[in-house]
Formats: sequence, structure tokens, C-alpha cells
Amino acid sequence: MDFAFTKEQLMFKKEIIRFAKKEIVPRVQEHDLKKQFDFESFRKLGEFGILGLHFPEEYGGGGADVITTVMAGEALGEAGVDGGLTLAYGAHTFLCADTIFSHGTEVQRKKYIPKLASGAWIGCMGLTEPNAGSDVASMTTTADKKGDTYVLNGSKIFITNGPIADVAVVYAKTAPEKKHAGISAFIVEKGTPGFASGPNLIKMGVSTSQTSELFFNNCAIPAENLLGIEGEGFNMSLQTVEWDRSALLAPFVGASTYMMNRCVEYARSREQFGRKIGQFQAIKQKIANIRIFGEAARNLAYRIAWCKNQGRPMNHLEAAVAKLFVGDWSLAPANDAVVLFGGYGYCHEYDMERIFRDSRLAPIGGGTSDIQKMIISKLI
Amino acid sequence: MNYDFSDKEFTLFVEIEALIGNFAKQTDSEKNDPALSEKNTRKALALLSQTPYLKLGLENLPDYNGLVTLMGAMEVVAAASPSLFLSIETSARIFGRILSAWGSDDQKAKLLPALLNGQIVGAVGLSEDTMNVENDPLTTTGTAHHNQVTISGHKQYVINGPVADWFAVAGRMDGKNVLFLVKKGTEGLTIGEKAATLGYEGATISKILLENCAIPADQVISPKSDNDLLATLRLWENQILMGASLGLMKRAFETAKTYAKSHRTGGRPIIAYQEVGFKLSEMLTLFQTSQLFAYRAAWTADTEPKDAESLTLCAKVFCTESAEQVASQAMKILGGSGFLSGNPAEGAFRCAKYGQIAGTSTEISRVKIGDFALGSMK
Repeated sequence: MDFAFTKEQLMFKKEIIRFAKKEIVPRVQEHDLKKQFDFESFRKLGEFGILGLHFPEEYGGGGADVITTVMAGEALGEAGVDGGLTLAYGAHTFLCADTIFSHGTEVQRKKYIPKLASGAWIGCMGLTEPNAGSDVASMTTTADKKGDTYVLNGSKIFITNGPIADVAVVYAKTAPEKKHAGISAFIVEKGTPGFASGPNLIKMGVSTSQTSELFFNNCAIPAENLLGIEGEGFNMSLQTVEWDRSALLAPFVGASTYMMNRCVEYARSREQFGRKIGQFQAIKQKIANIRIFGEAARNLAYRIAWCKNQGRPMNHLEAAVAKLFVGDWSLAPANDAVVLFGGYGYCHEYDMERIFRDSRLAPIGGGTSDIQKMIISKLI
Repeated sequence: MNYDFSDKEFTLFVEIEALIGNFAKQTDSEKNDPALSEKNTRKALALLSQTPYLKLGLENLPDYNGLVTLMGAMEVVAAASPSLFLSIETSARIFGRILSAWGSDDQKAKLLPALLNGQIVGAVGLSEDTMNVENDPLTTTGTAHHNQVTISGHKQYVINGPVADWFAVAGRMDGKNVLFLVKKGTEGLTIGEKAATLGYEGATISKILLENCAIPADQVISPKSDNDLLATLRLWENQILMGASLGLMKRAFETAKTYAKSHRTGGRPIIAYQEVGFKLSEMLTLFQTSQLFAYRAAWTADTEPKDAESLTLCAKVFCTESAEQVASQAMKILGGSGFLSGNPAEGAFRCAKYGQIAGTSTEISRVKIGDFALGSMK
């Protein structure tokens, strides 16, 4: 075993933190309060190379390995970038672009990946439906082959980047009777007749990410927009889970470091009863709890990243363990951070309340904690 | 980066498990019987001396990955028998590391081979009878007279106290923290009765009293740095308690899992019920997270010593608290059978509390982790 990062990885992490603190973090609170997507910051993520970090350079990517890519997510969280923007990045890069890259034809890759890697286009992924969340096989969106087209009908919900996306990877049933094996994946571009997105859904946290329904009403797309082959959609969605359990968890890990650093700053400056509050044991305990969570979660996220980097098939048990831990154990330290800041922690000016709200997504998004427990209990 | 153990490490774990696992099954290693405990400890040490286990952490073994291998191996031994683990580790790892890290060549030559061959049992007297936070300052003292040192002090919670052949006793001499090597039977050394404890009943824990106990001056170990001694002993203790916690979790989890798959209610195994399956999922999550945490803390101690203390404290808190939670959940799954004495989950539940109290307690650990983060503050 060896838990070391390379010097280059550590230097790159520092660069991202420096960049994000300067270019993105100053804009976070304002956008969060207004529940607005920060297009400028997203564009800057593209310019810096983060949106396409792991794609080959020939497609406009950075050619980075999985561990470096996951580290970028951690760095954004550690810098203080909000969960809304990191979620938008995750949905864009891993759920949309990576699916196209991993399963698309060369034509599809060349058409979409450079635009997505640069941030010129924004991507989303449509899987969840009003009556098919964790139970994906129950989806009712259909794609009927008609000549040289597929005609999509149905709707999706809780789609991150839905209202702002230029392109979507959409899962629909081409053979409803086959359940999981009847699901296929398609590329649908904004502006396609019959395709529309709903208004932004106002959420408790990750407020700068835009979330909506997607509607498909006799939406005809060219047959060449099929990703891979018919019936492989469910497996494609599963393959994104590796990224979901590493790169999308990494911002939560980074956010815990950010929380700890902010709590330390505050505890070192705030005085009560004639002493800095950091001198009270109850404050030290809260800071310790935040650090303990972050260190524990970091190991789990990078274990998934390392295995993926080795080219190993995903270990579903370890992936579910990582998701469950970050999901269920991240709430207490976020709560500790709010309480440590007292009344200020409850106010928007001090961003602990935002982080607390953002952390509530962890046990829900990308497979709820209960689903992770179902997976684990089946696999053991 | 590499999250795998090597093939050689796995082979070692299997070898250790076969030796100590079979031995623990054949003997009642958790029984509260001092005579049996002594016999078991000596036999277990002798068995393990057939493997590199006792040398891990003491010697640089090229086929293995230092403390990471040790942590993985400790989990195996602790899962087989928590009490034997505590006795073995106190002797080989703490007493042994005291000798290998700080002992003179003569001291090493005199004691280490016998210790690593399982021929002698070591104990460490650290906790003072008049307990201060983390035993700092030590109240046991040694006074030099010519070629002898006379020691006075009372130590409590000495693991292996009733069965040890040699004691390393922490104390003050000439304004420094030192360790006195005291042989069993030395005049002035009194060993108390085995203490009755909540868990680890198969290990022997007692007080030791030193009243004008005279030892040759060459039996004093004096580390170069004053602060180094107590901090390092605590680090070693905390590493052992993490290993113990991993073993307890493995023991409790495996017992509960096996039961949940075999015990049927309502026509199906109880693991099929979410109340049970979800508990097992949470237990496994805590167990795996603890494993990675302990391994990384061990790796850090080997590779980045300046970061080791705070990370080890983080891991120690997490592992020891998780052990209690996992054992508690296991008992709920096991129902009435989990409440019967002798059930591994019940034993793990009782033993788990020790990990939170011993070494650096979880309360003090959190304060120290906070101090590390906050730095010096005026």
C-alpha cells in the first residue's frame, strides 16, 4: 500500500486552489443567494482545463489520470467553491461528456467532447423520472425507431444542468419488455423539436446548479445519435457510477477541509468570556470531528479512483461503501461547523449555512443512502 | 498510490490466521483465568515467532511494508483473540519497540532475541497510580547510586503485569523521562492481583508497585529527546488500539453476517429484512472506512512522521468508536444469542470500550486534534 500523491499532483492541486480562490470563490455567495448559475465561473473552469481534464488532448482534454481528476474536485471543494458549481461540473463532465467519450463513435467524440471540455457547451444527463428514481428499470420514456430516426417520448426530472444544457445524454427504453436490457442511451441537442426543459427547480442546497425536468414530445433525433448499441444504456449508466463515487464525492471531501479551515480561522479570532473560543474544548471537539470525517472520506474516494485508474472493473461494494459514508456521515460535521459559528453560522454571510445545505444532497443524489445499503446488503 | 496489500503480505496474513486462529479456537483464550492466560500468552508468542509477525515494526523487513503490514496483521490476530492480541502486542510491540528503538546494544542483545522467540513476556508500566492527563508529568522516580538505580512509584493498568518476565517502567531520573528495565522477582517490585475488567478478560492487567526497587544502572533506557518518550509510547499504544479495533469489528461483523444469513424468520433469512441488511451495511461501511484510515495512519507514521501524530489520533478516534458501534449493531442482529457470554459480538462490545479509554482517550484525542488545527493561539 502507498497513499502518496505525486509531486505533480500536489502542485496541480495547489494551482487549482489558488485559481479557484481568486476566480470563483468571490462570486459564490452572491450566486448562491440568487440561486443563479455562474456561467462565468463555469467558463473559467473550462479555460483552466478542469472540465475536460481526463479526456485525451486530441479531444481538447488535459490527458490527466483518474487520481489527478478526482483531486481536482477535491481542490475545488477545499478552495470554497460551492456544491452547486461542483455538481454542475460533475454532471457535465462525468455524466454527460464521459458517457459520450466512453461509448460514442469517433464522429460523436469529435463533435461533442471538444465543446464540452472547453465549456463552450454545457452537458447534462437524463436518467431519473418522476416514477423511476432508484428503480431505473421502471422508466417510461421511450425511444421508437422510425426509419433513420428515434422518436423520444416521456419526461425526466431532477436533471442537473437541465435548464442550461446544450446537449443531453438521455436514457430511454427501446425495448420496454426487456426492462434493464431494454434501456438505450441517446444524444439529444438543445433546440431539437419536441425537446424542452422545465424551469429551474428551487432546491434546499447546491442552489447555483440549475435543476429541471426534461420533456420529450415526439422528439425525433437522428439514428446516429444512439450511443453504443441498443440495450446497453443501463450498463452505461452504471459505468458513470465509478466517477460518481470518486470525482463527485471529492468536492465533499474538499469542502470538509474548507469547513475546518474556516472554523479554525473563526475560532482563532472570535472571543467570548475573555478568551478566544478556540481555547474551549467544545470548539476543539467540533474541529476534530470535521477533520476526522474529511480524512476518513478521502481514503474511500481515492480508493475508487485508484482502482479505476488501474483499469479494474468497478467494485460495487466499495463504491457503495464510499457513497454511503460520505452521504450519511457528512451531515454531522457540517452541522458542527454551523453550530461553531453560532448565530453567524445561521446567516448567509458566513458560508457555513450554505455548506450545511449543500451537504444535504450527499445522502440523496446519485443513489440514496438506502439504495447503497440495499446494494451492500445484497453483495455481502 | 496503491490500495492493495502485496501477495507476500496476504500470504503472511493467511499464515498468521492459521496459526493463531486455530490456537484461539482450541484454547479458551478469553477466559478469566490468570494461569491459563500466562500459558496461552507464552504459547501464542512461540507460535507467532515462527512467522515474521513479532518482528514487524521492530525490524526493517524487506518483503513487507512496515507499519502498514503490521496493521493488516494486527487485525488478523485481534480478530482471532482480542485478549491474546493485547498480551502479545504489549510484549512484542511496545516492550519490543522500546528495546529496538531506544535500547543499548547490550540491552538488545540480552532481551530482544528471547522476546522475539517468544521465550520471555514483556510488560510496560506507564499509567501512574496518581493519574495525570496522559501521565505527564510522570511521578515514578529513579535515583542513581553508583552503579545502581533505585526506583519508587506505583503503576496501574499494566497489561501482562501478572505474567511478565520483564517490565519497562516509565519514570523520571535526572530531570528526564526514562524507562527502567525491571526483571520479575527484583526486590522491591510487587505485582498486584489480576484486575477484574469489563473486557479482555483473557489478558492479565494489574498494578505494579516499586518500593526502593534497585536495578543495575545499565538497565535504564534514556531516549535522546525528553518529549519523545511519552509521545512515542502513546503513538505505539494508539496504533495497537487501532489494530485491536479492526479485529473486534471483523469479529463482530463476521459473526453477525453469518447469523443473518443462516437464521430464518418468516420463511427467509433475516438478512433479507432491511432492518438487518441495512445494519450490516452500516457496520461494513464503518469497518472498511476504519481499515483504510488505520492503514493510512500507519503508512504516514512510516513515511511522513511529522504528520503521524495528528492523523493517528484521528484514525484512533474513528476506529475505536466505530468498533463499539459495529459490535453494538452486531448484538442487535444476533438477538438473544448476542447477549450470551462467550458470543464474539458480546465480547467485542465489552472490549471496544477499552480502546476509547486507553492510549490517548478519545476526548483528549479530539482536543489534541483541535490543537493541531488551531496551532498556537494567544
